[in-house]
Amino acid sequence: MKPQEPIPHNYRMSTLNKVFALSSLALLALVGAMVMYDYARGWKRFQLEFLRVQRDRITQQLEVARRATGEEQLRALDQRMREGEADIARKRAELREAEDTVREWEGRHYRADQDFRFAKAVLDSLRYEAEVLALRKARGWEGKQQEFREQETRVERLKLVLEDVSASRDAALARRDGILSRIAEIEREKKDLLADVELLEKQLATVDFKRPEFLLLNMPLLDFVSPTLKVEQVVLNDMFVDMNYMVVPRVDRCMTCHKGIDRPGFESREEAQRLIAELEGKLDGFQIAPDRIADTMARIEQLRPIAEARRNLRNPYRTHPRLDMFVGSASPHPLLEYGCTSCHRGLDRATDFARAGHTPSSEEQQKRWEEHYGWKRQPFLESPMHPRQYFEASCIKCHSGEVRVDEADRISEGTQMIELYGCAGCHKIDNWRFQDLRKPGPDLRGIAEKTSPEWTVRWLTNPKDFRATTRMPSFFYLRNMVGPHIGPAERESNEKKQNAEIQAIVAYLFANSTRRGWPEGPSGDPARGAALVDTVGCYGCHVAQETVTDSAGAVRTANRDDFPLERNYGFNLVGTGTKTRSDWLFHWLKNPRNYYQQAPMPDLRLTDQEAADITAWLMSLRKPDFMNMPVAPADRAALSELSRSYMITSMTERETDARLASMTSQQQLVFLGQRTIEKYGCFGCHDIKGFEDAKPIGTELTIEGSKNIHLFDFGFVHDFETESGEHEHVLHTVPSWIYAKVRSPRVFDDQRERGYHDKLKMPNFFFTRNEAEAVTGVVLGLTKDRVAPERIAARTSEARVAQEGRKLVSQNNCRACHVVDGHGGAIAQTVEDPGMLPPDLGPEGSRVQSDWLFAFLKDPTVMALRPWLGARMPTFHFSDGEADKITRYFAADANVPTFETDDGISPHPQSAAVGGIVFDMLRCAQCHPTQAVAATAEADLASLAPNLQLSRERLRHDWVPDWILRPNEIVPGTRMPTNFPRNAETGEYESPLTLAIGSPQFASYRQALLQHFRSEEEMLQALADAPRISHHLRDYIWTIGIRSMPPARDPVEEPPPYTPETPPPAPAPGVQSTSLRVPGGETPGR
Amino acid sequence: METIKNLVNLLSGAAISFLLLSFVFGFVVYFNLMDGNLRTRVGKIFLIIGVLTTLAGFIFAPLFFLGLAYLACLFLLAHLGPKLWDPKVGLIILVTSLVGFALSMFDRDFFLIAAKPDNVPIAAMIFLLGFFTWVALGKAYKNDQQIASGGVPWEKTESDEKLFTWPDLVYTELLCMILITVLMIIWSMALPAPLEEPANPTTSPNPAKAPWYFLGLQEMLVYFDPWLAGVFLPTLIVVGLMAIPYIDTNPKGNGYYSFRERKWEIGVFLYGFLVLWSFLIITGTFLRGPNWNFFGPFEYWDPNKLVPLVNVNLSELIWVKLFGVALPEFWLVREIFGIALVLGYVALPPLMARTVFRRFYLKMGPPRFYVGAMLFLMMLSLPIKMALRWLFNLKYLVAIQEYFFNI
Repeated sequence: MKPQEPIPHNYRMSTLNKVFALSSLALLALVGAMVMYDYARGWKRFQLEFLRVQRDRITQQLEVARRATGEEQLRALDQRMREGEADIARKRAELREAEDTVREWEGRHYRADQDFRFAKAVLDSLRYEAEVLALRKARGWEGKQQEFREQETRVERLKLVLEDVSASRDAALARRDGILSRIAEIEREKKDLLADVELLEKQLATVDFKRPEFLLLNMPLLDFVSPTLKVEQVVLNDMFVDMNYMVVPRVDRCMTCHKGIDRPGFESREEAQRLIAELEGKLDGFQIAPDRIADTMARIEQLRPIAEARRNLRNPYRTHPRLDMFVGSASPHPLLEYGCTSCHRGLDRATDFARAGHTPSSEEQQKRWEEHYGWKRQPFLESPMHPRQYFEASCIKCHSGEVRVDEADRISEGTQMIELYGCAGCHKIDNWRFQDLRKPGPDLRGIAEKTSPEWTVRWLTNPKDFRATTRMPSFFYLRNMVGPHIGPAERESNEKKQNAEIQAIVAYLFANSTRRGWPEGPSGDPARGAALVDTVGCYGCHVAQETVTDSAGAVRTANRDDFPLERNYGFNLVGTGTKTRSDWLFHWLKNPRNYYQQAPMPDLRLTDQEAADITAWLMSLRKPDFMNMPVAPADRAALSELSRSYMITSMTERETDARLASMTSQQQLVFLGQRTIEKYGCFGCHDIKGFEDAKPIGTELTIEGSKNIHLFDFGFVHDFETESGEHEHVLHTVPSWIYAKVRSPRVFDDQRERGYHDKLKMPNFFFTRNEAEAVTGVVLGLTKDRVAPERIAARTSEARVAQEGRKLVSQNNCRACHVVDGHGGAIAQTVEDPGMLPPDLGPEGSRVQSDWLFAFLKDPTVMALRPWLGARMPTFHFSDGEADKITRYFAADANVPTFETDDGISPHPQSAAVGGIVFDMLRCAQCHPTQAVAATAEADLASLAPNLQLSRERLRHDWVPDWILRPNEIVPGTRMPTNFPRNAETGEYESPLTLAIGSPQFASYRQALLQHFRSEEEMLQALADAPRISHHLRDYIWTIGIRSMPPARDPVEEPPPYTPETPPPAPAPGVQSTSLRVPGGETPGR
Repeated sequence: METIKNLVNLLSGAAISFLLLSFVFGFVVYFNLMDGNLRTRVGKIFLIIGVLTTLAGFIFAPLFFLGLAYLACLFLLAHLGPKLWDPKVGLIILVTSLVGFALSMFDRDFFLIAAKPDNVPIAAMIFLLGFFTWVALGKAYKNDQQIASGGVPWEKTESDEKLFTWPDLVYTELLCMILITVLMIIWSMALPAPLEEPANPTTSPNPAKAPWYFLGLQEMLVYFDPWLAGVFLPTLIVVGLMAIPYIDTNPKGNGYYSFRERKWEIGVFLYGFLVLWSFLIITGTFLRGPNWNFFGPFEYWDPNKLVPLVNVNLSELIWVKLFGVALPEFWLVREIFGIALVLGYVALPPLMARTVFRRFYLKMGPPRFYVGAMLFLMMLSLPIKMALRWLFNLKYLVAIQEYFFNI
């Protein structure tokens, strides 16, 4: 063969080999990098760190436990152990022999036991065979049966053998143990002594992340077997994530990093301090069951080092605050059922810090997170977590059927603000809490009867000028009309237009007002009026001051925050004389419903003279400067320009011109007024003629919290100054947008070019930071998130009725005077003597009988419980349905049945007699009258307590003894003395009577009491039994009770002194009365 | 710096970038044929087109910049001459464009779009496409030179040699596999999958974009009705691609790079692939922002940007603007000019066969010629419509809304 010509290679082999080597090495390195990339998850770092935290905690506890063990005790035990061992050494021969016997008998027992069990097994198989053969009637079945019977006897015999052998073995064991018993006991003692330490040592071993098996189990690539560092999760079948096309259960993995979230012992310093105070308070107040006391003490001991530690534990290692309320397994919101994201939102399945949707609450936090955790905004996450200040927003998801959310004060406050400020008047909120609310503003269909156009124009210009505390928002002359961003020419034109709109609204309102003539009341004395206002309880809902003295002693203008929300319910009385007509005011005071049916003010049952006195005083409260404020008449050009801007939408230019030319200025004003009211939605808060069926003008807020961020127009705003001059920063988040909107509603018009009517219309309420945050929280909570029906709070029909009642309590501002479920009692600010305060209604449900409460609500005159009280329970003219709802609310709140029968409750005469004697001994009658007391009685009225004659009609049978035993626990701070103090150790009630009865001054009572007992011993026993005494007392009170109460008067309303419509006096208001300037100080009306 | 950015933004405007690319593409093709000599007859024609376009800029403003940019490219390419295919020049072009790209990354708006994990491969695609087109055209140029001087293509001399399967083929393939795997791993770690929120019918993303390979189709929707851009034209693309082997029976150029021997085949295909397909994908990726508005590479994608919608139909142009009368009621009368125009366009092939393309007609025979010419015209309808839209705001040539039929 011809030798083949060598074929050259295209590439040099050595180069190829080098490239191959290098690229293979690169691939290998990359595979390693890939494994590490997959392995090194952020959450592992947190889990490791948590192990370290746990180790520190356990080490700390271990030290404490070791110190508690006591060296002395251990040494003594060791000594005894040595002695015991020496003792055994002496009996060595005996012990060896005993041990041999044990070994021998153990062997025999083993064999006997085995024989028995095998024989039994054979027996069972023989039974089967015998049965089958017998059934088939096969040959030899009788033989088989015989065999079976024989085996049965054998088993019996073997059982006996086993029993004998067992007995002998036990005896041998007992003998050996007898010799060893002394050491065994010492060892047991030592084990008990060291139990805590051993437990902790075991725990310490489990958190040791340096032990080999830990490293092995968590090694890259090996960690699929059984890693200890792993993703943790809870599946929440009742909490849903809306994926738009389907709804899936939440799967929360937050606890992968937040490992300590449900474990006590990792609290923050502040939380530990709070908890210690709370638990100690509970211990002192006997609110902890006796069997839990030791645990509670141990918990306090556990918390103490945390509370005193220098380094505060940081998240994500902390325990959730308020474990009794959230996350804890015994709390109403256990982790396994509610998880984390159902309240906090965020991406439930995420295990990465940024992707989980953590939302910083401030710029500083954002910076820190970016640095430490690589935080990034998640543009695609539809529900990022609420920032810290809005955590409570999610409560609404389940608790929207409740009027107040207990423990969520911010939300409750925000909810009440939305109700009081009438947000739902313009913004539809399809949520039970915000439906069927009374309009927060007064009825304007009779405005001409009440005030003058001159006043109204000035009021609309800026309500805050008249009353700094008013709830009426400002609509005009705001930042998008006359603010610094508006050029001078546009500003001038806007000012004219704004004035024209104000004039037009006033013209419309007065042109459409009723003009009933109200007869003058009698003449009154302002001084008496002032005193009356002070006593009858007006200050529960009203304020009559314009200035407050702050803590530094400086006097400044009062804000709404200076008073509780309840006292802003009514208007500030200052300036009433400038605003209202006295004839109207007199009749309003007599009964506000004379003016309109929905009047929020209740009827205080004032006599004519009282009403006249108060009228006189109120009319003396004037603000003459306000009426001196110059007001220009509506600018004709602005008026026709605005009118035409509305007409042009339905007419052509030429038609509009013709129409405008045919209208007088007054007609134009009324026309524009109607359109302006429509534009600003005044009817959302006020009843206005012609707008009975108007639809709310604002954006619907029902699912505002779920709205996607791109639906919010941020305009060009990043930083802005509020009207009160505070600096605010807008983050590109939904909460931040809503907050800015609430804080300064027109801010998003800043620097925008917009037509006059296209500008934002929402009025400015001048909310403070706190107020704006409270409202924002509620709006954020209005979401489309869904939970399983059984998770909804207050969903039973009973609870629904109770919540309706609670809503009435809120709407009628009962909390102005009363404390209801821990909140309210605003009137206390103005009442010096706590004895003259209206009652705390905390325990009202368990305290009073429902039929009494119903009658009392309908007509408070049925029973004068404390006739000397100045503040009057007003007549609210509740319908039966309303009174029923309130009654049922109180009953449900106390978890007692609404109605109870007192049939069969006829106190045993002997019990009542004993009660009577004790009643005297305890001098109950010193405060409690037992017969009718005149309001003018000479006694110190403020120190009197309710008349006990009325108890039987009013109080619940079971409640009285409970109240006698622990008044201070039911109503903290009550003036009812605690007669039966609790034993500090056991928490049992102690009776002072046993001791007292022995003293000479109680000799007569002793004699009287002895008649009712068989022996002195029995008497002493009875007197020592505090609960029993309380029942005797109740029985006595029952016997002195009257049994009839005047029936509730159906509130017959006084017919309003209605006179036929009279023609409007004076020229019609508006531009025609060329000048609206009123001579200085003169008040409108009369 | 700002000026350069603004200039780039201006040049990448819809009207300019597309037409500029089309023109330059034409010149590159010519260049390959004629050594880029501007003094030849064809070269002069190219020059005249540039000057005319610039002058037309005084009527239609965008054309001014288009013309200038075109002339600049023209002179640059002519100046380079055959040196364009020199590896050194290629390297300089590549490095320059890479540096330009890297410098652009300092611009926040450019970075936001170009560094988006979705868009990174498209950015890489620009360079890869450019590189391989340059390689292919360069090789073709050299072979053509060789053939012109009586030689054989370089591939011919090479394919006569013999090589071992191992190691010359398999070893290098193995190396490629390893290196590609390395690249993929790095890529997957450096740019994690860009996951978004669960689909929500009430909140569609803005801009809503098709997958990258369909962005060309989506761009076509701007100029044509859905039935044309979404159904008819894509079908034609598929059918046309399948028809290529039956239409193109030229045996030359098999197994070696050559341009002159298949200038029409390669020219038409490259125009369709590079300008009409790839460039539209690049446009859709980098230049189409919120509301499907056009944004320059250095422009912020502002969702609030508004562009006036002032497009008109041909019928409006003729009846209202030219004749000054109202639009006729009856659609056939109203659209008669448009229909005539479209029918005239479709009836072009016989005319072509008789005139300019007579040579092709004779060579290919009637069936091949008509199918090919039809496909060619359909392909050209896209750039024609685009130019009409960008330059004259023309919406539809035929607009029969009564029957939902618009062209």
